[in-house]
Amino acid sequence: MKKIYSVGLLVCLLAACKPDLKTSAPKPGNADFSVYLAVGNSLTAGYADNSLYLTGQQNSYPLRLSEQFKLVGGGAFKQPLLMSDVGLPSPKLVLALSTSCLGVTSLSPVPDPQPVNWADTISIASQGPFNNVGVPGIRCIDYIVPGYALLAKASGIPYASRFFANPAARPLDEALRIKATFFTCWLGSNDVLLYATGGGIGNDPGTNVSPADISAPAFFDAAYNIVIDSLTSKGAKGALMNIPDVTAIPFFTTVPINALVLRQGQADSLNAAYQGLNGIHFAAGANNFVVQDHNGVPKQIQQGEYILLTVPQDSLTCKGWGSLKPIPSQYVLTSEEVANVKAATIAYNTTIQTAATNHNLAYIDMNSYLKTLTAGITFDGAAYNATFVTGGAFSLDGVHLTPRGYALAANFIIQGINAKYGSTIPAVDANKYSGVKFP
Amino acid sequence: MKRLFSIGTALTLFAGTAFGAGYQLNLQGLRQLGMGGSGTAWPWDASTIFYNPGGLARLDGIQASVSGLMIIPTVQFAQASTGNVYTTQSQQFYPFNVYVGGPVAKGSKLAVGVGVYTPFGSGLTWDNNWAGKYFIQSIYLQSIFIQPTASYRINDIISVGAGFIYAFGNLEVKQALPVSNENGVDGQADLKGNANGTGYNLGVQLKASDKLQFGLTYRSQVNMKVKSGNANFNVPPTVASLFPSTNFSSQLPLPQVASIGVGYKPIKKLTLQLDVNFIGWSAYDSLKFDFSKQTADLKNQHAPRLYQNTVAFRLGGNYDFSKKFSAMAGAAYDPTPVHDGFVSPELPDADRIVLTCGVAYSPIRKLTVMAALEYTTTAKRNSTYNDGPLSLNGQYQTKALTPGLGINYNF
Repeated sequence: MKKIYSVGLLVCLLAACKPDLKTSAPKPGNADFSVYLAVGNSLTAGYADNSLYLTGQQNSYPLRLSEQFKLVGGGAFKQPLLMSDVGLPSPKLVLALSTSCLGVTSLSPVPDPQPVNWADTISIASQGPFNNVGVPGIRCIDYIVPGYALLAKASGIPYASRFFANPAARPLDEALRIKATFFTCWLGSNDVLLYATGGGIGNDPGTNVSPADISAPAFFDAAYNIVIDSLTSKGAKGALMNIPDVTAIPFFTTVPINALVLRQGQADSLNAAYQGLNGIHFAAGANNFVVQDHNGVPKQIQQGEYILLTVPQDSLTCKGWGSLKPIPSQYVLTSEEVANVKAATIAYNTTIQTAATNHNLAYIDMNSYLKTLTAGITFDGAAYNATFVTGGAFSLDGVHLTPRGYALAANFIIQGINAKYGSTIPAVDANKYSGVKFP
Repeated sequence: MKRLFSIGTALTLFAGTAFGAGYQLNLQGLRQLGMGGSGTAWPWDASTIFYNPGGLARLDGIQASVSGLMIIPTVQFAQASTGNVYTTQSQQFYPFNVYVGGPVAKGSKLAVGVGVYTPFGSGLTWDNNWAGKYFIQSIYLQSIFIQPTASYRINDIISVGAGFIYAFGNLEVKQALPVSNENGVDGQADLKGNANGTGYNLGVQLKASDKLQFGLTYRSQVNMKVKSGNANFNVPPTVASLFPSTNFSSQLPLPQVASIGVGYKPIKKLTLQLDVNFIGWSAYDSLKFDFSKQTADLKNQHAPRLYQNTVAFRLGGNYDFSKKFSAMAGAAYDPTPVHDGFVSPELPDADRIVLTCGVAYSPIRKLTVMAALEYTTTAKRNSTYNDGPLSLNGQYQTKALTPGLGINYNF
């Protein structure tokens, strides 16, 4: 009798014994997220580890955004996915043990040894139109060039041609195939990045023929406004991301400028060799490397100048690069080149911010977010910073992001969208996605 | 050129690993459990060895009390930023207690006894990939206290008692490490260890009249020391040298508790009692894990906890329906020792409200069978853990249901 009573009590309490927390339902605010279009370059395509590959695409920030937009009425999100996870047109970088010229074995990024799947260059345009039209390598000024996809393909860059319905048209026309109600646009990095990652081998502002040049700000401004005018012409709302100061990324900050460690005897013989040319001077201990400047003249690298991540490590270690042989100019960003990069970045960002204001769009200051990330942030107990390989946010090319890094970027964009449109789109659980993978 | 692959900056190892109020179990006797956990004033049975050693000399003979309980705790976390709600896996834990003791002979003023009980223990298992995985994936703590006790009845009013406590137990903590393997799966740290410590339990029992009794007790702090735990790390082989399997030492202070209690019989069939516990949680100021092998990525962890002392109230009543059958009911308010800003997911503590009930049945004079049920709920606590601007912010709630069965035999 009493037992029955207590069993009954137990059953009725079991329901109450589970906590019942609820979070408020996400709201779209005054934007319509039903058809989302992502415009941009490699960062938008999900490029990582120096290539475009399937897993990278499946971790793109636009895909993360589209998943969150689905909570507030967003629809299907189609990406031009590759079949291969190796990378196109060259294999992605993976971490592996490799042995240096000194016989020291350490973990380093090396190309994935698996073969590239060339079938991925065959057009999949019939599966389109695509919601993510991010094209690795594309500049803002390319966006209004008819036949860009064909030109790029001819120079070995198959990304646009493999999914554009009409490769002879402007990239902008491919983007406009989707009748977007909401778009994000992150164009412009390549207008300055290709100059920077090429060590500033190219022309300064004023000309913009070669991809290695800095696009002239006036051309950038014209192209950018055509793109945004077109995207908003049917009343779509959106978010415009500005351009990060690329000199803060691991591609430029990883190789130390003063890693030339000399004994007195070595310093003496190098001093004798250079005879004080351009003030070059060595002492026992750590010295700044000798590099070629913009005009090929040897000089000692200074604070605020950068040696690129792509510099051949074995040449530095065993072939006298940086001491007897100046590091070639294409691996060096001198202060003059850094100033060009920074000036262009500021000019482009002015254009982007003005466009956001004129069209009443969300302006996402990725430049300042990247600075925050570089300084180091913590997300749910995991620390992120811009340290190469171990920082967690940057992939093995030192420029593009890891799946986690892209998720963090998505969160920053969501914050800006929520602030602009009064929406309450929840953040992404960034730690659910992987960082750099260790073998 | 040197490329350093130190993962150190990416880790917040054990930033949040701790044990706290949620691991203190007030389940040391079924009669007392049924009455909100109160029992300092009134020596109900041999479980007074825990509740008030001074009451042991009041028993009218040697008694044995045995009980077993089942805790079913559930914690839920609603993350503010993502809107995701995470619930711990359903688990059961089985605290128990055994007491034997009483006056050494009929009418003797001296009583002796021994108690074996489990005042701290429990565990939580979150999903391996939940938002707080870098703080904690699972935690399990078990402790057993053995307390030999002597009690002396000075006169008809005052009796005193003292017990020595030897405590031992074990703990296991698992947490994810933010270093992905080739399949993108996180590494994992697994810390296991045995702990032990000593303490004492003192009590004074005052029988003012048949209707009114008082109790005063003091249970000392017990420092549970882990001298040589095992830390194992499941990480990708190329970074395994940064996370060597090693021993660790740690220490967890189980707090001192001073209690005053009063019991009163307004009518013959009804006993009401109230306990006030002063709990010295401030002893828990930081959590330390010291590793015997250290690397750039595996460093000693000292995390502030800064617990505050608390005062808990326990109120209960026992009603005798007949000589054979009685029922208990009670409630308790047990405020959290955890400051805002230190609410971490391994122990998302908040002010607790406890409701209890129980029945006791004596089929024969010497034997009593008891059943009791405790229901614990916390307020929904908005919490931040002090770990940077985008740390684990959200709302926690804990609920637990604890049924128990026990017998008392009067020799």
